[in-house]
Amino acid sequence: MNKEVVLQVKNLKTHFTTSKGTAKAVDGVDFTLHKGETLGIVGESGCGKSITSLSLLRLIPTPPGKIVEGEILLNNKDIVKMKEEELRKVRGNQISMIFQEPMTSLNPIIPVGEQIAETIRLHQRLPRKPAWQKAVDLLEMVGLPSPEKRAKQEPFQLSGGMRQRVMIAMALACTPEVLIADEPTTALDVTIQAQILELMKDLQKQIGMSIIFITHDLGVVSEVCDQVAVMYAGQIVEHRNAKDLFKTPLHPYTQGLLSSLPNIHENQQELQTIEGSVPSPYDYPVGCRFADRCPHAREICRAEAPDLLETNNAETKVRCFMHTEKWEVIEEKEELVCP
Amino acid sequence: MLLFIAKRLVQIIPVIFGVTLVVFLIMQMVPGDPAAILAGEGASQETIEQYREDLGLNRPVAEQYMSYVSNVFQGDLGNSLKNKQPVLDEILLRLPITMELAFYSILITIVLGLAAGIISAVKPYSIRDVSVMVVALLGISLPSFWLGLLLMYLFSVKLQWLPVAGWDGPLNIILPALTLGVGGAAIVARMTRSSMLDVIGQDYIRTARAKGLKEHFVIYKHALRNALIPVITVVGLQFGSLLGGTVLVESVFAINGLGRMIVDAIRTRDLPMVQGGVLVASLVFVFVNLLVDVLYRAVNKRIDLN
Amino acid sequence: MSITTKSPILEVNHLKQYFSLKKESLFSPKQTVKAVDDISFKLYPGETLSIVGESGCGKSTTGRSILRLDEPTEGEVLFNGTSMTSLSKKELRNVRGDIQVIFQDPYASLNPRQTIRKMLQEAMSIQKVMPKEQMEARLLELMSLVGLRPEYLERYPHEFSGGQRQRIGIARALCVNPKVIICDEAVSALDVSIQAQIINLLKSMQRDLDLTFLFISHDLSVVRHISDRVIVMYLGTIVEIADKDSLFDSPSHPYTKALLSAIPSIDEQHKKDRIILKGDVPSPIDPPTGCRFHTRCPFATDYCKKEVPALRSLSETHQVACHYAESLLKEEIV
Repeated sequence: MNKEVVLQVKNLKTHFTTSKGTAKAVDGVDFTLHKGETLGIVGESGCGKSITSLSLLRLIPTPPGKIVEGEILLNNKDIVKMKEEELRKVRGNQISMIFQEPMTSLNPIIPVGEQIAETIRLHQRLPRKPAWQKAVDLLEMVGLPSPEKRAKQEPFQLSGGMRQRVMIAMALACTPEVLIADEPTTALDVTIQAQILELMKDLQKQIGMSIIFITHDLGVVSEVCDQVAVMYAGQIVEHRNAKDLFKTPLHPYTQGLLSSLPNIHENQQELQTIEGSVPSPYDYPVGCRFADRCPHAREICRAEAPDLLETNNAETKVRCFMHTEKWEVIEEKEELVCP
Repeated sequence: MLLFIAKRLVQIIPVIFGVTLVVFLIMQMVPGDPAAILAGEGASQETIEQYREDLGLNRPVAEQYMSYVSNVFQGDLGNSLKNKQPVLDEILLRLPITMELAFYSILITIVLGLAAGIISAVKPYSIRDVSVMVVALLGISLPSFWLGLLLMYLFSVKLQWLPVAGWDGPLNIILPALTLGVGGAAIVARMTRSSMLDVIGQDYIRTARAKGLKEHFVIYKHALRNALIPVITVVGLQFGSLLGGTVLVESVFAINGLGRMIVDAIRTRDLPMVQGGVLVASLVFVFVNLLVDVLYRAVNKRIDLN
Repeated sequence: MSITTKSPILEVNHLKQYFSLKKESLFSPKQTVKAVDDISFKLYPGETLSIVGESGCGKSTTGRSILRLDEPTEGEVLFNGTSMTSLSKKELRNVRGDIQVIFQDPYASLNPRQTIRKMLQEAMSIQKVMPKEQMEARLLELMSLVGLRPEYLERYPHEFSGGQRQRIGIARALCVNPKVIICDEAVSALDVSIQAQIINLLKSMQRDLDLTFLFISHDLSVVRHISDRVIVMYLGTIVEIADKDSLFDSPSHPYTKALLSAIPSIDEQHKKDRIILKGDVPSPIDPPTGCRFHTRCPFATDYCKKEVPALRSLSETHQVACHYAESLLKEEIV
C-alpha cells in the first residue's frame, strides 16, 4: 500500500496517577492512519480506546492524566511536543472530534449556529456574518431541516439525532484532515444511528478526510471501517483490514469477542463467553495481558509479553505468540495453562 | 416571558397583604403603649386617652387593620406619631439613600465575589485558590457591624483616608458599602467557585477545547456563562440579607437611611413609621426577587420546558 | 409446544399510561404524554416475550405499569387470572413476590450501605419465603446459582464490577421464588463478553427454575437470541407481535423492517440495502393521526394518515398493525 500517511502514533503511553497508584490506561499504542481511510478502534470499557482518542488532541485532564511517552505525528509534526499555540491551530482545524453524548457535548446556553461559527471565525479568520452563513450552510449539509431557524436554537430544542448532526457540522467546519469520532452513535437509537453513519460515509466521500472511529459496537465497525484495531488492557492486540478481521480473527481475544456477540441472522443455542475479567490497569501481568483468560495460553505467555508483529501478510499485525514462527516449537514443548 | 412576568406580578398581591398583616400584628403584640409614649412622661390618664382617641387606637384591632390596608392601597401610609408628618414623605426621603447604599454593596458583592470565585476555580487547590477561599471564609464569619467598626478604625481613625460617618459625598459610600458587601461577596465567591469547577468538568468544555479555542474563551464564554446560572439565585438571596444589614450598618455609620429610620421608629414606638418602613423594605425585596427570576429565565431558557 | 393452548400467566388488556405535563403557562392547554396508548398482550408460562423499540416507544413504561410502579391510567393487568390493577397495596405486595424485575443499572437500585447478605435476607423475609433456619442454605445456593463466590455475601455493592452487580440483581430477583421476571434493559449496559455471560445465565435459569421472562430491550440481536416471541412497539402502540423466527425472517410491519435493516451487522452476506428512515420519532404529546408511523413510513398513503390500523392476525403466531402488510410481504418492496 503506498497511500499517503496522515497520522502516525508511536508507542503512545498515557498514564493516570491517583492515590491508588499509576493506572496505565494507554500503554504503548502504535498505529498508522492513511489518507481517506477509516480506522476503527474497538474494545470493551476500560481498554483505553477513549483515552487514546483524547490523547491524540492532548485533551486528557492533567493532572491526573499525562502522556508519558510516545509520538503523535501529524504530517510528520509531533503533537506531543507542540506548544499550546501550535496545538490550538491543530485542534478543530486539522484534527477535530465528535463525542458520544451530543447533549452534554454541546454548550447548553449558546445557540448551535454560534457554536459552529466561532470555530470558523477562529481558524479561518472570517468575519461574523460570513461565518454565520457558513455555519448555516454546514447545518444544511448535514441534513438538518430548516437550518436557518435551527442555527438560532439552543441544544435542548433539538432531538438527539439533530444534536449529533450539529456536532458533525461543527467538527467538519474547517474541513479537517482527521476526524476522531468517539462512540458517536452509542447514545442514539438504531434508526437514527443508521442515518448518522450514512451521513458520515457520505461526508467522508465529499471531503476526503480520514476517520478514527472509536466504538465498542463491532457491528458499527464492520459497517464503516476499512481498518480495525482491537484494544485490550491499554494495547492494540490486532490491527488489520476489517473484512479479514471479521472473517478470520487471529488474536484469541478478538475471537472471543466476536463469538460472544449474539447473531441477529440465526438462532444459536448458547453464546460463547470469555471467562475471567480484564486485569487492573494499576497492575498488569508480566506476560501477555490476555493470558489468564486465553484458551490457548502456554507457559511462555505468562512469562513473556508478546509484541505487535506483522504476520506473513504485511498489512496484518497481531500481538500473540500463536502467530509467530516459534509457536510450533512451543506447542510441542509446553503444556496448556489455560483457565 | 411577558406572561411569566404578569403572572409573577399578580402573585405579588397576596404577598403584600401578608406583609401588612404580619407587620401590623407584630406591632400590636409589642409591649408599650404608643399613646402613653406620645403623651410624654407624667401625662395624665385623660391626656393619654385623648391621644388614643385621636389616633383611633381605641377601635377594634380588625377595624384598625382594615382601615390601614385600605389606606396603604391608596398610597397613604399614615402619619408619624412623633412629628405628624406623612410616613410616605419620610420614606421617600430616606429610601434613595438606602437604595444607593444597597446598590454599591451589591456591586461589591458581585464584582468581588465573581472575581475571587473565578480566580479560585481556574487553578483549583493551588495556593492562590486556598488563600482566596480562606479570606472568603473570614468574610462570611465576620459580623458586619464588627467589620464596620474595624474598617472605620483602620481607614478613618488610623489612616485618616476616609470620613468616619455621615452621607455627604462619594467617599462616604466606600466604607459602609464594603461593610455590607463583603459578606455577600464571600458567599458569591464560594458559589462561583464550586459552580465553575462543576462546569469546567462538563463535556462541552472539552468540546470547546477540542475546537482549538483559547483558554480565556473557554473560561469566559463557555464556562462562566453556564456557571453564573446558580450564582444569580445566590445574589438575589444576598440582596435580601443585605437589606437587613442596612439597619446595622446605617446605625454604625450614622447614615440617615431607611434602616436607621426603622430602628429609630421602633425605639420611639412610632407604629405607622415602623409599619411603613418594613412594608416598603419588603416590597423592594419582593421586586428584586422578581427581577432575579426574570433574569434567571432569560439566561437559562431550558426551564421554560419543565 | 403450542403456546396458545396454555392459559396466560400475565395478561395485559388495553393498558394506557398517560403522564400530564406541567402547564407551560396559565392559559396554555393541558398536555399529556401518551407513553403507552392502548396495548394488549399475553405472556404464557415458561416463555420469553420481548418488547423492543426505540427510546420513547413506551416499552419500559409498560414494564413499570405492570408492576404498578406507575399507576396505569386505564386498562387492566391480570396475573394468573386475577386483576392486579384492582389490588390493594397489601395484596399487591404478595403478588410482587411472584413478579420480579431486573433493571439496567442494578447499582442504582442497591442500597450502598447494605451487604449482599443483608439485602437478600431482607428481601426474603419481607416476602416470607422460608423460615429463618433455611435461609443460610438458600443464600449459598443462590450465590452459586448466579455464579458468585459465597464470600461475596459479606461485601457491599460498590465492591463489584458491572457484570457482578447484574448477577446480584438477578440473585435478588430470584431469592423470593418469582414466577415472572421483567428484565428492563438488563444487559444493555454491559460489555459484550459480560453480556454474553449474563444472557447465558438468564437462559439456564429459565430452564432450571421454570421462569417466565418479559424481556424489555432495544438490542435486537440480544432479543433474537433470548426470545420465543417478540413485540415491536412504536410511539406507545404495538405494531407487530410474532414468534421470533417469523418476526426476524419475515418482518411484516414497515417499521420492523426498517428497524431490522438498520442494525449494523458484522456478517458480509447480510449487508444488504438498508432502509433509512427519514426524520425523528414524532412527539408522544401530539402523536400523528391514523397510523403513528405514517410520517416516516416509505409506503404511507392518505388512508394511513386517516385510519388507525388495528392489530390483526396474519397467521396463528403473527399479528401486525399495518393496512398493507400482506401486499408489502408479497411484493417485497425494499
